[in-house]
Amino acid sequence: MTTLKTWQELPHGGVILEAGSAAKYETGSWRTWKPITHRENCIHCLACWEYCPEDAIVLEDGIDHAGATRKFVKEVNYFHCKGCGLCVRECPVNKEGKAVALGFVRDEV
Amino acid sequence: MSNLTTGKPKIVPITGAGACAQAMRQINPDVVAAFPITPSTQIVEDFSTFVANGQVDTEFVTVESEHSAMSACIGASAAGGRVMTATSSAGMAYMWELLYVAASMRQPVLMSLVNRALTGPINIHCDHSDSMGARDAGWIQLYSETNQEAYDNLVMAARIAEHPDVRLPLMVCQDGFIISHSIQTMQLEDDKAVKAFVGPHLPYHSILDTAKPVTWGALDLQDYYIEHKRGQEQGMRNALRVIQEVSDDFAKTFGRQYNLFEDYRLEDAEIVLVAINSVAGEIKEVIDELRTKGEKVGLLKIRSFRPFPYEQIGQALSNAKIVTVLDRSASFGAHGPLFTEISTAVYNYASGRPLLMGHTFGLGGRELTLRHIEHVISESRICLDKGEVGNRQGMWLNVRGDKS
Repeated sequence: MTTLKTWQELPHGGVILEAGSAAKYETGSWRTWKPITHRENCIHCLACWEYCPEDAIVLEDGIDHAGATRKFVKEVNYFHCKGCGLCVRECPVNKEGKAVALGFVRDEV
Repeated sequence: MSNLTTGKPKIVPITGAGACAQAMRQINPDVVAAFPITPSTQIVEDFSTFVANGQVDTEFVTVESEHSAMSACIGASAAGGRVMTATSSAGMAYMWELLYVAASMRQPVLMSLVNRALTGPINIHCDHSDSMGARDAGWIQLYSETNQEAYDNLVMAARIAEHPDVRLPLMVCQDGFIISHSIQTMQLEDDKAVKAFVGPHLPYHSILDTAKPVTWGALDLQDYYIEHKRGQEQGMRNALRVIQEVSDDFAKTFGRQYNLFEDYRLEDAEIVLVAINSVAGEIKEVIDELRTKGEKVGLLKIRSFRPFPYEQIGQALSNAKIVTVLDRSASFGAHGPLFTEISTAVYNYASGRPLLMGHTFGLGGRELTLRHIEHVISESRICLDKGEVGNRQGMWLNVRGDKS
């Protein structure tokens, strides 16, 4: 939790002087539903990462079955995830209907 | 700019709109974005001639609407430029949304507003509905009785609006047609003297400064919106001091002293009229006449309506016995905007307790003659003798069907 500034401490007109400061803003509190990764079913196609409007799908480096280094889905960053459900909808594993790689559950308040 | 005149000030016959265009030429702003509308048209027309003649270096943006004009002004100001525009009536109404954006983004955009009635029914003549409706938008509002005052206010505008303790947009208001289209003689100051007085424009976190990237106009929710608005309010409060400081320096430089308001034969006045803009000229005429007959009458003429100098005005009205306010705009179902401000000032800051009376006049250019003003003063005298305003409160003057 960042300390909120007084009006005297703010630059005029709401100008934001720091690049990339949106990353500090907790949009996760807006969520009512949240996506959950089921890594046992994930094929790591990265469709969820590509569609996520908040860049909330966290990736990690791994070795694929051919021995090459590539990115794998690690988890969801709930500090930024607003729970829009786009990742759940775009997940090709979910679309197949045989398994769930991204579940969508009521967020605990 | 190479073709600045040097030398002495000139006495010139010029319209109010023409005078403001001359001030803009002398200020030579970086950007002007404007859309012509009656009766402010001559300002934009004259200025576009200065651009075409190379008399200014200004980037003149011929936009497709006033909404775009103010948007372009805000963008250009955020990019670090000194920016000016001109408009009237429905033109400013079309800027409405952006008026608030300019003020909340603390962009010192300068506007020459020529007061004109708002449509319904369509009318092109003078009243103050446009600027009075925008009084809560966060713009500094300076009013001008004459061509000279409109010109002088515009010359002072940049230094007030751009002051680091203020940093707010500012509109200089003058009466449509009555002033904007009437030729009066006035003193046009020397180009270089004006340029030296106005001084350079210092950008504030310009969006064109790629070495220090910034974000303007971001979303602001429950956690910060009100802090930003509080800062905006402080700019307005500081403006009271800065307007006076710049006005005092203007007096030292050019010899004409302005204050937050003008007090005309006020010291011993029992009856005080309060008014804005050109009608003050007629009121002064009547006051001079009545003073010769021994009537103790005076005028308080508003210059700065936003910020409103409550304390100073309240004190100035401390010795009055009756204060009669003339509003040239209507707030339907309420007293006029000037009357409510004067009442607040008197109640909180006047040591005396004068009677307060408010009238509406002049909508859509309806004239108020010397005879009407004499009538207002004699009615004020009757109220004063009776010790109450009674049913004379809230009269509309010079309206067929009403007794006045």
